[in-house]
Amino acid sequence: MTDPGNSTLGPPVGRPIQVVARGEVWDRVRADLAAYGTVVVHAKLADLEPDLPTGEELRALLGRDWSRYMDLAHPDVRHRYAASRVLLKLAAGAVLNGDPNALELAYGPTGRPYLRGCDQVDISLSHTEDLLLVGITTRGLIGVDAERADRPMYQRGLGRHVCTPYELVTLAAQPEEERNPALVRLWTLKEAYSKAIGQGMQFSFTEFGFGPDGRPVRAQRPDGSTGTGDEWGFHTFALDSGYCISVAVYDAGFGTIGDMDMTTMLDQDCVEAIEGALRKGDGEVRA
Amino acid sequence: MREPDSLEAFLRMVGEELDLTVGDGDADRDLADLPGWDSMNLLRLVTLLEADSGRRLPVRAVLEARSLAEIHSVLERQA
Repeated sequence: MTDPGNSTLGPPVGRPIQVVARGEVWDRVRADLAAYGTVVVHAKLADLEPDLPTGEELRALLGRDWSRYMDLAHPDVRHRYAASRVLLKLAAGAVLNGDPNALELAYGPTGRPYLRGCDQVDISLSHTEDLLLVGITTRGLIGVDAERADRPMYQRGLGRHVCTPYELVTLAAQPEEERNPALVRLWTLKEAYSKAIGQGMQFSFTEFGFGPDGRPVRAQRPDGSTGTGDEWGFHTFALDSGYCISVAVYDAGFGTIGDMDMTTMLDQDCVEAIEGALRKGDGEVRA
Repeated sequence: MREPDSLEAFLRMVGEELDLTVGDGDADRDLADLPGWDSMNLLRLVTLLEADSGRRLPVRAVLEARSLAEIHSVLERQA
């Protein structure tokens, strides 16, 4: 696994930061975002329990996600849904120096999440078993994904649905014991990339791929030729807890942003429209 | 593994093969609300069914299904 150090191509990403109950990690989170333009945080569901609000407090924090939360019937699914949003809002609130309750999580046409009114920040969420994962970037686009590194994936017939021809050949050439972890790595990279571009699994995983571990990582065409340039960074991390995390970041040229205050992160067009309406309203009252 | 005919048999197969807790009440449940369910499980299921039947399944149609009952309907249409 390319960890630490990771791929040298494209925008860099620091090692994911673990959030624990009442943990004081937010200075590190802010520092990583300032240094790299991207930060990734993760938490164990159980570790986050003491920070999880309940009742009206949870309702306020979830905002528009409250009705979706109430629709979820299974307690475990519900709990994890709430916890992942709490982690996102705590992390985003920390980097934006704002009240987490004031942040509104919204979803694009393909289900891609974003923070309404904070267009300069892109976010991505993932969870698997007891791990919650959040990525935040000021560079452009981000996608994150996590899986247990030992999750059984390498089985006859599955590769045809997941891998490009080049990846199938590369996997088959590896020693048998390395094939499953290699496929888990590829899977998380593909999930991260397709989340970053907002496609999910509707974007066929056999249409794009990645090279073997241990070299600079680029997205590749089905035959293994290069598909993306230096604007994309792909990084994979192995956590001590046994999870494999992949992060895809697209650098749209925004770089890192010094002033991360929530009030200055509002979309400028939106701010001007509101200010214009207020001025107009003010004039009408006076007339 | 034998390709399941009825919805009940299909749910039982999903639970056994993917090691998930799936009951009759889960047939119409949104897949996002099914504990332990994710896209990898979906592809593993497709692979198992293909191996069993010797036929290729329409993965896109299966991916668009929102519940196990809908996946079962896709399979029935292919039978």
